[in-house]
Amino acid sequence: MKEVVAEKEKTGRFFEVKVYVYSLLVILHSKNKKYGGSVSMKKTISLVLVSALFLMALAGCGSPKNTNESSGNTSSAKKVELEFFQNKTEAKDSFDALIKKFNEANPNIHVQQVNPPDAETVLKTRVAKKDVPDIIGLGATDTYAQLAKSGIFADLTGDALLNNIQPAYLNMLNKLIGSESAYAIPFTANASGVIYNKAIFSELGLEVPKTWDEFMNVAQKAKDAGKTAIYQTLKDSWTTLVPFNSLSSDIVGIDFYGKRTEGAIKFDSPEFREVAEKQLKLLDFGQKDLFGKGYNDGNAAFARGEAAMYIQGVWAIPEILKANPNVELGVFPFPATNDEAKNKVISGVDTLLAISKNTKHSEEAKKFIDFMLQPDNIQFFIDQQKAFSAVKGVTQSDPSVEGFNAAFESGAIEDFSDHYIPSAVKADTIIQGFLQKKDVDAYVKQFDTEWDKVANRK
Amino acid sequence: MAKRKAAFYTMTIPALLLFFLFHTFPTLQGIFYSFTNYDGYSDSYDFVGFKNFASLFTDSNVLNAYLFTFKYAIVVTIFINVISLLIALGLNSRIKFRNFFRGIYFLPNVLGVLIVGYIFNYIFANAIPMIGEKLGSEILTMNILGSEKWAWIGIVIVAVWQGIAFNTILYLAGLQTIPRDIYEAADIDGAGPWSTFWSMTFPMLASFFTINMVLAMKNSLMVFDQIVALTGGGPGRSTQSIAMLIYQGGFQGGEFAYQSANAVIYFIVIVIISVVQLNFLQKRELDA
Repeated sequence: MKEVVAEKEKTGRFFEVKVYVYSLLVILHSKNKKYGGSVSMKKTISLVLVSALFLMALAGCGSPKNTNESSGNTSSAKKVELEFFQNKTEAKDSFDALIKKFNEANPNIHVQQVNPPDAETVLKTRVAKKDVPDIIGLGATDTYAQLAKSGIFADLTGDALLNNIQPAYLNMLNKLIGSESAYAIPFTANASGVIYNKAIFSELGLEVPKTWDEFMNVAQKAKDAGKTAIYQTLKDSWTTLVPFNSLSSDIVGIDFYGKRTEGAIKFDSPEFREVAEKQLKLLDFGQKDLFGKGYNDGNAAFARGEAAMYIQGVWAIPEILKANPNVELGVFPFPATNDEAKNKVISGVDTLLAISKNTKHSEEAKKFIDFMLQPDNIQFFIDQQKAFSAVKGVTQSDPSVEGFNAAFESGAIEDFSDHYIPSAVKADTIIQGFLQKKDVDAYVKQFDTEWDKVANRK
Repeated sequence: MAKRKAAFYTMTIPALLLFFLFHTFPTLQGIFYSFTNYDGYSDSYDFVGFKNFASLFTDSNVLNAYLFTFKYAIVVTIFINVISLLIALGLNSRIKFRNFFRGIYFLPNVLGVLIVGYIFNYIFANAIPMIGEKLGSEILTMNILGSEKWAWIGIVIVAVWQGIAFNTILYLAGLQTIPRDIYEAADIDGAGPWSTFWSMTFPMLASFFTINMVLAMKNSLMVFDQIVALTGGGPGRSTQSIAMLIYQGGFQGGEFAYQSANAVIYFIVIVIISVVQLNFLQKRELDA
């Protein structure tokens, strides 16, 4: 036994659990060895020690915070440090450019951008530690809804910052969290549909499809011509949500998910089965090994002109252009149905800006957000990101995304369905599994059971 | 005497303090939260008793994660031990460039798991399909990580590739503790290489075999990093290990308390496995 422990200590590679197991065994072992009277003595000593440690640990947890607070107060006279945490890796450089401009204009404030990978999860773990960044940039996702409901953001209802924001996006946020209070300011909106390669379309004489049947025709023609019709990146589970959102929002509608929560409807219904059937149909037009390719592969391949169409949001366009600035792109709304009026552009709040309720510098944080909302700043941002502005009077005029302009003007936009699915259901995982197994019955039932399980655990 | 004791206490207490602060205390916190409905970020939570534990036993995702993890752990443990023992035997013999080879075989151990994972991710996605095309092999042109049936094999390959390094070193250390003269005696008695290995080398390595089995098993039961780098638990839930499920459900899904309960159960399972494994293998050591 000792040998084993000694050997392991040398190795220095411990896992928490292992250590427990060994200490357990060592304790059992030492009992066998009969220390006689000294055992009880040792026990008291260790008990005293453990309780002392416990107190020290508690005290240790408390003290650094205090010092932090006091130093924060004293330094606010000199320079205010603001942390801006945001989740869009694609937009890191654009934000940095704006932050640089802001920091230069405001010498007493210093904003620092934090943009870790898997930012939503990082943010949740930081919130669990009560370490909330001063300013937070997020998508209007279920994560935002959960955090807003938990009350970590400052209530901005009635703030002057909201005056110039398009009401449609404010409504979207209110609907998402089921409240009339504004906890965040919509900054930019995204749009998702189908990105297409203009050169391939004109080479094959294809027209932009307006209905599902036309869409299937176009895809079939491209396939017959020996091209990959629709590039698909199913290895990254989140990308399976993009076509799902278009199909689901257009066919069953956003209200479906509210009704599902009330129990008035089930996924095992004819409408939702239509969504499922069409998801499967798309697989016929993919490239080879569509389960083995991820988002980055898709952007690179589409930039090389390997496919006629690519079902993605406008956020992919900067990435595609980075790989090949000369590729001629266009977009059109995903034609999910044969009723043209129902085929909407899926658009949601891509980045919203929120302020931590507990920040000590809310005035400075508001100043930064106000700066971001200035027309020339947001114009700079959306031009780089091919995004759409949530601020009134700022428009996106880039030719690559003009295919969405008509929909934006007429208001034919709908929110992302998956923002209304609890994240614990893990819709992306369910969809990715379904596309592998291709079993519609199992799919709709799985959605129902997962949904109920999550609801029951609440 | 008392002075010396005081010296020993000053050596042990700081370690105990740190250990308690960073291991024991979070564990107790986790156990505490497993009886609540805490979501990981709200200000408040309620006690729900054993509800989380009851839900766990009816959750097919948990069962699925357990099946995957054990299938994976058993396969990885076997492969790591067989291959690293073979490599150690080779490295212990009198070959040219022996120290060079020892360095090379230890190299994977000093590389980060995530880095190795991402490199292999690239190999599976691009390099192997390219070779497959050259060879005209249909199977090789597919990315193994994209297949629901075979993605776990990809993770096994990466884990074994990296895991071998450390276990080889332990076996090598074990081989060097065996005195040369008993081999000479065996040689004189006319034992062939096969019977030398089975009746001398392997029994003499018994304690190292125990450590390596336990270490490899435990490492693979906690598999997480490789999966993050390679598949993210997909396709579907086909490569979702228990650690991955706890992380995804607890932090991404906002079910901190529920997955804490899952972690508590898993902790108990691992303790039981370790005790059983150690007892069994140590008995075998004594018999041998």
